[in-house]
Amino acid sequence: MSTVILVGETDGRGIKDVSQQVAGVAAGMGEVIGLVIGKNVSESAMKLAAGKVVIADDERLEYYDPVKYASIVSQVVQKNDATKVLMGATTMGKDLGPRVAAELGWGYLGDCLEASSEGFVRPDFAGKVLAKSKPEGPLVASIRNNAYPIGESWAGNVENFSGDIPDSTLNTTSIEKIGAGTIELTEANIVVSGGRGLESPENYEALIRPLAATMRAAAGASRAIVDAGWVPHSHQVGQTGKTVTPDLYLAIGISGAIQHLGGMSGSKFIAAINKDPEAPIFKVADYGIVGNLFEIVPVLKTKLENL
Amino acid sequence: MNIAVLIKMVPDTESRLEIIDGKVKEDGFKYMVNPYDEFAVEQAVQFKETVGGKVTLVSLFSDNASIDTDLRKMMAIGADETIVLRQQEYSGNKPSSNARILSETVKELNADLIMCGVQGIDYYQAATGPMIAHFLGVPHVSGVTNLELSGDKLTASRQIEGGLQIIETPTPVLITCQKDMAKVRFPALKDIMMSKRKPFDNRDVGSESGEDVQTTECSLPPARGGGVILEGESPEEKVDKLIEKLKMEAKVL
Ligand SMILES: Cc1cc2nc3c(=O)[nH]c(=O)nc-3n(C[C@H](O)[C@H](O)[C@H](O)COP(=O)(O)OP(=O)(O)OC[C@H]3O[C@@H](n4cnc5c(N)ncnc54)[C@H](O)[C@@H]3O)c2cc1C
Repeated sequence: MSTVILVGETDGRGIKDVSQQVAGVAAGMGEVIGLVIGKNVSESAMKLAAGKVVIADDERLEYYDPVKYASIVSQVVQKNDATKVLMGATTMGKDLGPRVAAELGWGYLGDCLEASSEGFVRPDFAGKVLAKSKPEGPLVASIRNNAYPIGESWAGNVENFSGDIPDSTLNTTSIEKIGAGTIELTEANIVVSGGRGLESPENYEALIRPLAATMRAAAGASRAIVDAGWVPHSHQVGQTGKTVTPDLYLAIGISGAIQHLGGMSGSKFIAAINKDPEAPIFKVADYGIVGNLFEIVPVLKTKLENL
Repeated sequence: MNIAVLIKMVPDTESRLEIIDGKVKEDGFKYMVNPYDEFAVEQAVQFKETVGGKVTLVSLFSDNASIDTDLRKMMAIGADETIVLRQQEYSGNKPSSNARILSETVKELNADLIMCGVQGIDYYQAATGPMIAHFLGVPHVSGVTNLELSGDKLTASRQIEGGLQIIETPTPVLITCQKDMAKVRFPALKDIMMSKRKPFDNRDVGSESGEDVQTTECSLPPARGGGVILEGESPEEKVDKLIEKLKMEAKVL
């Protein structure tokens, strides 16, 4: 049986959901060894669903650093004769995965939608094409959030990482939280996005953000209003923004250009509010409301508050 | 400062995607400069304008398509020189082999700073940058939305979940660029004219075996149901129907 290294990630609350999702995937591929890297992560790390968890808990590992982290992953791979490395397609996973693959001389598949011993599926052209593969050699893969259910957390054997932590010239000086308390787009169950139909940045603040807060959703945007400077690029959904796969995507005043659809058509359910019945967004919407958003959105918000 | 910027040519976002025998039909594709790479060019040129130096563009592409106009446009923005590595069997879906070939050329340039886009909008692997950094033996910072230079130290703001990771680094380093980094300028007519005289070097390169995973079959995603309009006499009625669906069907409320 082959050995799979599962790189787990923690956040303030414990092991990230995506890591437990990947744990389930890894279990179907071989014997799983979890690896959690960071500072003060030991307690959370023990909850990673793997038979054995290697913990690299060190002052010098407080912030993600591709040079240090890739080296640690490679060392754990070599020590355990592993043939696969799996991780969540987070900002860390998408950065670490390819570097580890290069360091090990392995193949890499990023942001996979499906992963099993049967093969892998990843999105090309922002999900407009699905590419299947059946890699035979050793492989590093990152797997998209929400592609699989969360595995139960349980504690296996714990081992402390005893290899080298290389020096790195990268020096993280701080983490700036943006929109503290708001929900990250790529991790949200519900995304509420606004577009040019809102007519002004003030209306985005007055209609989209409060509705998102009511629905415990992340707030997203079309490129048109990002380019207009209404909201930062971190809000942009689409082919040159973020790809999101929530349970519900609610598009408000967004026409549904092909580049926007690229970033959200993998959502489980799509709802759209637009005054133009011909808007392309309705072609992908499970629930379309044709109407003036300035009339619809306040009613929606009030009714949701009173549920 | 000696800066190398890597450019990927990607199919236009309006390209029609058609699958024949499990493969994407690429014949009709028009190519454009990967939008994220444009931010890298702009930022590199801004650094050059403040501290002096040189900006060299490096691209790996097939040997039978003309991309001169697109790359000349990047030189009109202010890049000094372009090297295009022409490969017979080029595929944008081979990050490992492509990174190996590109890193050979970048090595020769002895760049202080290597920049590229965070990902190609064709295969979205976000892999070439970090892989090249490894092959060059330099650190990398990916998904950078803001990059500042003071002396020979760079400060990069890297987009992470819920915020930014602020990283200081000396050169050499490889940076992959996110959208907010720089607003790409419209070149003036005289810069467009001048770009036509800048060095443009086409070089043939062979293929390099890498560890890339072969795609065995492509398909179009299942068509979404979609197309359902919730009718109603008033906003209230429409919203009631929507909430009902969200509760009972989508089960998100
Ligand atoms: C290379 C490239 C990459 C791109 N990448 C992206 C990307 O990543 N993400 C992205 O989103 N776009 C992207 N685009 C841009 C895309 O083509 C569209 O221009 C953009 O998505 C349009 O944004 P929008 O829907 O907000 O605006 P519009 O297309 O202007 O649509 C506004 C909509 O609001 C509706 N509306 C107006 N008033 C009201 C009202 N009172 N009530 C209800 N509805 C109303 C209108 O009917 C219309 O449908 C890209 C384009 C290119 C060329």
